Amino acid sequence: MGAVRPWARLSEHALDFASADSAMGHAADFALGLALAQPARKVICLNGDGSMLMSLGTLVTIVASGATNLVLFVLQNDTYEVTGNQPVPGAGRVDYSAMARAAGFSRVHTFADTAAYEAALPSILQGAGPVCVTVKVEPGTETPLGRGPEQTAAYLRPSLAESARLLRRALVDPR
Amino acid sequence: MIHARRIVDELLRQGVTDVLGVPDNAAKALLDLLAAEHAIRVLTVTREGEAFAIASGLWVGGRTPVVLIQNTGLLETGDALRGTAMRMRVPLVCLVTVRGYARMAAQGLRPAAGALNGELLSRPDLDSVALLTEPTLSAWGVPWEGLSSDHDMARLSAAFERARELEQPVAVLITSETVAA
Repeated sequence: MGAVRPWARLSEHALDFASADSAMGHAADFALGLALAQPARKVICLNGDGSMLMSLGTLVTIVASGATNLVLFVLQNDTYEVTGNQPVPGAGRVDYSAMARAAGFSRVHTFADTAAYEAALPSILQGAGPVCVTVKVEPGTETPLGRGPEQTAAYLRPSLAESARLLRRALVDPR
Repeated sequence: MIHARRIVDELLRQGVTDVLGVPDNAAKALLDLLAAEHAIRVLTVTREGEAFAIASGLWVGGRTPVVLIQNTGLLETGDALRGTAMRMRVPLVCLVTVRGYARMAAQGLRPAAGALNGELLSRPDLDSVALLTEPTLSAWGVPWEGLSSDHDMARLSAAFERARELEQPVAVLITSETVAA
């Protein structure tokens, strides 16, 4: 699902980063780079199922890297939402948490129920990872993402390059 | 022939912290040395495009990564390179070992975008990736330096300077075998 705009309605933090106007399928591996660079922080990646399918090998790379500070959410709505909700390959059949476990993730979770998810979330965010959390959600109506001053989401107003610079400054030189 | 130690020494001099890529025969000596180098973390990825996304995250997080891949893998990276390192203006050096250059040279050919066609790219006496490497880099807006001997090491240093100056990826084509000693 498109997570960028929904997240912007919940948070406007200097460490939020929209993987938009970038390469589809490369949110999880970009997040892995951040996690390896910033081992004292916890990096949370909100990935869509269509994006995850584009880079399944990254599940293996995450574990092989030894990163323990990455929490990878796969928001599974079984569609390419921003292009009109066409079904992803394997829609309704693919078990992302099982694939993550097979790749070596020791902590995996799957939720299809809001109450169960909310109850488990605090413990999921505690402790060493990597963690893979599949959240089954209903398809929405998010449209394709853009960047620019007209965007309502604050983190979509700068260019991707400027967003990267701002995040780097916040992480490396936060004075 | 290039002594791998010279490349590793230059990477250390440039403050490189991470090398990301997929192994290939031409990089074996280099990878063997890097594996023993405690100041540099080597991460093998499953597909070359991943290397550019992870490198971009590392740079945003304050590290100094380089990518080490073969030219065949480079061709796979198009959208990852475009959408991460290039779009984020990451000053990233990408070391590219090359396949097929010797056969291309033996046929008296040089990479040239205008000359590419199905007949040339399917010739059994050529490795088509060699013909495509430099035109592809040009099309993607990635400048490159060539490294064919120990005497070219200043070009590696220049690639780092150029990447920082341009704030974008710069490729270094390693056109000779790297050797341990």
